[in-house]
Order: sequence, then structure tokens, then C-alpha cells
Amino acid sequence: MDMNEIKEIFFQECEEQLAELESGLLKLNDGDRDPETVNAVFRAVHSIKGGAGAFGLDDLVSFAHVFETTLDCVRSNRLEPNQDVLKVMLKSADVLADLTNAARDGGSVDQARSRQLIKELEALANGELPRASAAEPAPKAEASVPAAVVSPPVNEEGFQPVAFSFEDFEADEPALIEGTCYEIVFRPKSELYAKGNDATLLLRDLSRLGEMSIHCDKDGLPPLDGMNPEEAYFSWKISLKTDKGEEAIRSVFEFAEWDCDLDIALAGGCAVDAGEELPMQPVPFDLSMLDEAPAGSADGEEQIATRDRDAAVSAAETASNVLQMAQSSNRAPAEAQRNAAAAAAAQQAASAATPTIRVDLDRVDRLINLVGELVINQAMLSQSVIENDTNGTSSINMGLEELQQLTREIQDSVMAIRAQPVKPVFQRMSRIVREIADMTGKSVRLVTEGENTEVDKTVIDKLAEPLTHMIRNAVDHGLETPEKRLAAGKSAEGTVRLTAKHRSGRIVIELADDGAGINREKVRQKAIDNDLIAADANLSDEEIDNLIFHAGFSTADKISDISGRGVGMDVVKRSIQALGGRINISSKPGQGSVFTMSLPLTLAVLDGMVVTVANQTLVVPLTAIVETLQPEASAIHSFGATQRLISIRNSFCPLVDVGRILNFRATQANPVEGVALLVESEGGGQRALMVDAIQGQRQVVIKSLEANYTHVPGIAAATILGDGRVALILDVDAIVAASRGQSLKPEMSLAAAG
Amino acid sequence: MASKKTAQKTLRLAPVLDLNEATALHEKLLALKGNAVAIDASAVERIGALCVQVLIAGARNWEEQQLSFTFAKVSDAFVKTTQLIGVDIDPLMAKEI
Repeated sequence: MDMNEIKEIFFQECEEQLAELESGLLKLNDGDRDPETVNAVFRAVHSIKGGAGAFGLDDLVSFAHVFETTLDCVRSNRLEPNQDVLKVMLKSADVLADLTNAARDGGSVDQARSRQLIKELEALANGELPRASAAEPAPKAEASVPAAVVSPPVNEEGFQPVAFSFEDFEADEPALIEGTCYEIVFRPKSELYAKGNDATLLLRDLSRLGEMSIHCDKDGLPPLDGMNPEEAYFSWKISLKTDKGEEAIRSVFEFAEWDCDLDIALAGGCAVDAGEELPMQPVPFDLSMLDEAPAGSADGEEQIATRDRDAAVSAAETASNVLQMAQSSNRAPAEAQRNAAAAAAAQQAASAATPTIRVDLDRVDRLINLVGELVINQAMLSQSVIENDTNGTSSINMGLEELQQLTREIQDSVMAIRAQPVKPVFQRMSRIVREIADMTGKSVRLVTEGENTEVDKTVIDKLAEPLTHMIRNAVDHGLETPEKRLAAGKSAEGTVRLTAKHRSGRIVIELADDGAGINREKVRQKAIDNDLIAADANLSDEEIDNLIFHAGFSTADKISDISGRGVGMDVVKRSIQALGGRINISSKPGQGSVFTMSLPLTLAVLDGMVVTVANQTLVVPLTAIVETLQPEASAIHSFGATQRLISIRNSFCPLVDVGRILNFRATQANPVEGVALLVESEGGGQRALMVDAIQGQRQVVIKSLEANYTHVPGIAAATILGDGRVALILDVDAIVAASRGQSLKPEMSLAAAG
Repeated sequence: MASKKTAQKTLRLAPVLDLNEATALHEKLLALKGNAVAIDASAVERIGALCVQVLIAGARNWEEQQLSFTFAKVSDAFVKTTQLIGVDIDPLMAKEI
């Protein structure tokens, strides 16, 4: 593992911690006062801080630290987590996420914003605290200047010290620790340092377990001339008062146990403050120690080891020669040190969740691809067996059937690997809601449901952008200002509800707001102004609602930063359609609007209807098909020179000859000999696609045509059928568009094929 | 006093005093032998036990020679780490303030 991989793992951990942090804060926001929730939030920030420290990400550490300080106040019940407090905290979580991203991808963060938040966080930690800090044990309260350790700007703001001990978060109230005392003798060997670990790191981890007194045994230290700077001379006697048990102490030394002598013994009485015969030094993390000499100082320095000087000088010469050679190989251990720290942090975080492994997405995709081939191969095999099998009852057939079931099961399981809950996307939305609510001065509450609904990772990745657009629209246009809401008899706080659920093999995502709904009069007027519809057009409510999906349409009176430039809903619609999805809108004036998106669960397989057109096999996505019917001669009407209509239940629908449009044949087919597939296309209009025959319905593995061949207008992708032939998957929208008289142009079907 | 007769040299410590730096630090200290030394640890961000060992060995050596060996400036990280590992540098702090 190299450094970058470890760092990458750290950032992945960070993402999980940030999600944990946000969901915890949102729970608190909803009135959850479970101490475990507060602890979870605290842990998340602390883990990020710890990991960031290991990588030297100072900005992240300093911000996380201030955040942690304030959270600690909440944890110890010194600060009531009311709405105002949580607002600041949620914003801080956002900034923490920004800082993490900036640390990963480079780029900069809004310094002013994070400084402002640091100030607010401190004010919170500070504001409610005078009583509490006085109640703390005096030396600690005076000594701790937490922010000054890492974040100088803090001090300039006149930040008062609060009772919080740096790093020592597990033991912030030492007097209350009901722990046992352990006597630990820790003698590192040189190998420990050579492997890049450091006694200081181990001791720091140890100090987090509880109250620790330490004595450094410097007797073994040779004179300067005779010492090997990379040899371990110091050893430590530690007395630790902790409630964590010996196991926890051992785990601190887990990575170093072969490189040190370690004795852990239960102490008879708690000797933390007793001093005994060892000149123990309590381990404070404060800075005021600088100004005054601490009691009980170690006087080990006075014991100077005297040795034979001549021997020492020659030893030093040899040592420095050896070391010069060794120096070139020193880089690796330094990395190993960070490795160990990161691994420890990773282990800590991972132990909480269910066991998972991280796998490169490429590997999963390769597996999925192979399983797709397997399914195709299996279908080919069974087909050839059936063709060559004359009596039809051979045992091979039974075996093949089992094989078919197995391959289908393997395929489902492999698909499940790619399936991910929509939670991360939903969580990102809550941040967007907060930011836009802030910008527009509206009070908004985002309610999410069904975050654990799983869908293919590709879908999730591509879902974020359209959702962001829609959320922005919902808050900016949909919801009214608090004053208007109150006037309308609603609560001042608007609600945006984001739900996800599985519905018949697809995922349905619903975005509902309780705002004013679509102003149909305004939409209609705007559409007339923009020449989208004729002034006297007679449109149903639904048709008017759907106008907002037209390109270049915006009802906002003034263009804001957030939305209103008219590149919104049409982009949304296009990206949803590119995913093989549909989007619907329903709106009630005064009660709000609901956007419903229906998306396929995966982009790797597709349920399709296999049809024949001019001796070619084509696949039509099942989601596009509304119904199939056998046209009768009496229902076919000619219209113009080449157009034909089919009358279905007293309404006329254009008949589209697929074979003609794809240039499979030069003349128009006789509709009566074929089958009509009624499809719903972009814009909601229906078309009847005419094909020669329906072969059946099948789940097919999608193979990109662009990747393997080149883009073909009117064709979205390809698949391989059981007989080994390539079948083309029809791009329904492109075909419909072509039937309107436009020729099939490559760029038209790009969105659908992409 | 001996320390007043010789010129005081300042040794500025590197920000990261890890394994790699221990040998370099050792050599720098050896080169300064015979002079009063003021250690400037104000830039230290991280210090490992090995470098602390070298510094303490240096302090003893200087004491033996009756020369002054002081920490003129220290960073928070430096103080914190030395306190953490139970090495008391207070007697070596510059007192002239």
C-alpha cells in the first residue's frame, strides 16, 4: 500500500463519518436527545480530526477541533442543542465536508465562512459556559486553551478558555473515572523506531485511555558522542487510571508489540497522584505549564552516565558511517509510520460498522460483464441443445434448466453488488436545502424517506445533478416566504419531502413541497410570450404543468443565483431520460407540487420486447411500451402523402414504420400484417411503432454500441441474443422524433443513448 | 561562567523531527560542541522520541562541559510532546525573560 491509497481510505472513512455526523445532527434537530446520538456525532468529528492529524491536514484538524470543543459542551450537557445551536452545527458539518474535499482534491474553501463559523462555535461553547467552567477542577479550567493549540485566529477573537482538555476526550472529567490502575513498563526497541513508529504516538494514544502519569527512564542514555541517534534508549514507567481495562491498553501497543518490552500489571492502589518513589509527572495537555515550573519534575538529567570517552568517540565514528548508509533508506519507515496511524484510525472506525470490503468499481464491472457473457453463453448453449435434441427429454435439458436458474441468480447477486442505497445523495440534498434556504431567507425542512432504497451506483451518481436542480427549484420557486405562508394559514416553515421506494422493478423518487404550487396562469402567459404555444391554445392543467420542462422556460421574475435562468427543468428531464427514466409533475394550487421520477434499477440489464423488423431482430425497452395491438385495416387512415394514423379507442395516433425510418426497407410495410406497439415518448405524446412480429419478452444485457462500434442514430445500444446474434436496442425517442419529419441525426439521440 | 565567554550559537530545529531527522540533529549538535547553545524549537510541529533522546543527551553533554544549553523558543507541539512522554524540559528553558 502506498501513501496515496491510505490517504484515499482515510477520505472514504471521512465520507462515512461525515454522513454519520450529518444524520446524527439531523436527529438532534428533530428533538432526539439520546446521549448515544450526541456521542456518535462527537465520535465522527473526533475520528476525522484524528485521521487528519495523522496526515498533517492542519486546516481540517483546527476546524474539527473547535467543532469538537463545542460538541463536547453539548455532550456534557453544558449546552442545550436547540435549533439555533444545531443550525450552526449543521453549517459546520458542511464546512467540515468542504475542508475534507479541499484536502482531497485540492482547491480552496471559503475561508471567511469557516472563520465565521469558528467564531460562532466558540461563542456557543463560550456563551453558556461561565458557570460550568468555574465548576470544573480549577487547574484544568485555567490551563486549557484548546483552540490556541491549533488555531491561532481563535485567540485573536478573545476566546475564553473553556473546560476542555486537548486530545484527552475520553477523560474530560477525570474525577469521575471509576477506573483501575495499571502499572505499565514500556521499553521500545530500536526496531520500533526503525519501522517508523514512534513512542510518542503510542504514549499519546495511551494517554487518551484515562488519567496517566508518566516517568521517563533516561538512565540508559549514553553521552552525546557515543550515542546512536536511531537507537532506543528511553523507557517509560506509566501509571494509568482507566476504566477501559487491560485489553484497551494492549490494543494501543498492537502494532508495536514485537518491537518493545511491555509489562502491564494491575497496581495495588491508585498511585496516580501519590508520587511514590518514582518521580512521576502528571501528563497535562495544557500550555500554561510553560509559565510555571510543574511540581515533581523529573531530575533524570542530573544522572549523567560516565563512560570511557575513547571508546565512545570511536563508536560514534562507526555509528555515523553506518547511519549515513542507512539514511538513504529512511523514507520508507517514515511512510510506514503514517501507515500505522492511518490503519489504527481505520480499524477504529471500521469496528463499529458491519464488516465490509472496499473493492475497485472496475473489478465489479468486469465481473458484471463476465456474468453477462455467461448468461448469453448459457442461452446460446441451451438453444443449440434444443435444436439438436430430437427426442426433447434428454437429461441435458434438465441440467441446462438448472444452469439457467443458477446463472440468473449469479447475475442478480452480482447486480446487487453495484446496488447502493440512495442515502448519500439524499444527504447531499439536505445541505443544498440548507444553503438555499439561507440564501432566500426561507425556513425549510427537508424530510427524507426510504434512504436505504438501493439502486445501481451509476444511477445514483447521475441522480445527484437533476435532484439538485429540482430541490433548488422547489425551495426557490415552490415554497413561499415565511410571511406569505403565515398569511396563507400555513406554518412558517416549509417542508420539502424527498422519498425513494421500489415500485415494480423500478425506483421511484418523489420530491414534494408544500408550497404554492405551479402558477398555471403565469406559466401559460410565459409560454405564450416565449412562443412555445399559440396564444389561443387550449391546454389541460397537466399540459401546462409540463410546459416547465421546455428548454428556456423560467417563471421567476428576477434571475437569482439559485435558479431562474431557464436552464433547469429541461436539463433535469433530459438527464432523467438519459437514465432510462420518466419524470412527472402534479401540482395543486396552494398545496404544492410533486415531482415523480421513475428510474430503472440498473443500467446494465434491461427488460425488453424482442421484435422482428424486416428480418432484423430489435429490442424495444419495455418501459417505453404502453400496450401492443394488432391493427385492423379499418383503423388505419392515410394522412398527407406518406403519413398514416391509427385510430385507437376513438383517438388518432401517428403510425411510425420502424423499418422505414431505420432504412431496413425502401417501401412502407402493410400495417395489417404487422403489430403496433403503442409507446409513450418525450413530451408525453403517444406513437404507434409498427413492427413485423413480436418474438417475446426478455431481460437483455446491455452492450454499449459506442464503446464497441460507433454511435448509430436511432439505436441506443446492443445486446447479444441466445443464438449469438447481435440485436439492436431501439432508441424510442429518437425514432419518434425522426417520424416527425426530422431525419435521424446523430446528435439527437445522444442523450438517450448516453 | 563558561557560557558567557563563548559566543552563543542558535540551533533552529526542523518542523518535523522524526526518525530521518535524528541523525541530522545529532550531527548538528556535535558540530556545535564547545559553544553555548540556544535551541530554537519554535517551528517544531512534530517530534519523535528519538530526537528527544538526542536533545537530552546533548543537554547532558553541555552540562558536563558547563556550557549553557537552553531552549530559547519552543512551539506548542514541542512542549506538548515532551510533557506527554514525561521528559521535563523546564529546567532548560531560557530564563532571561
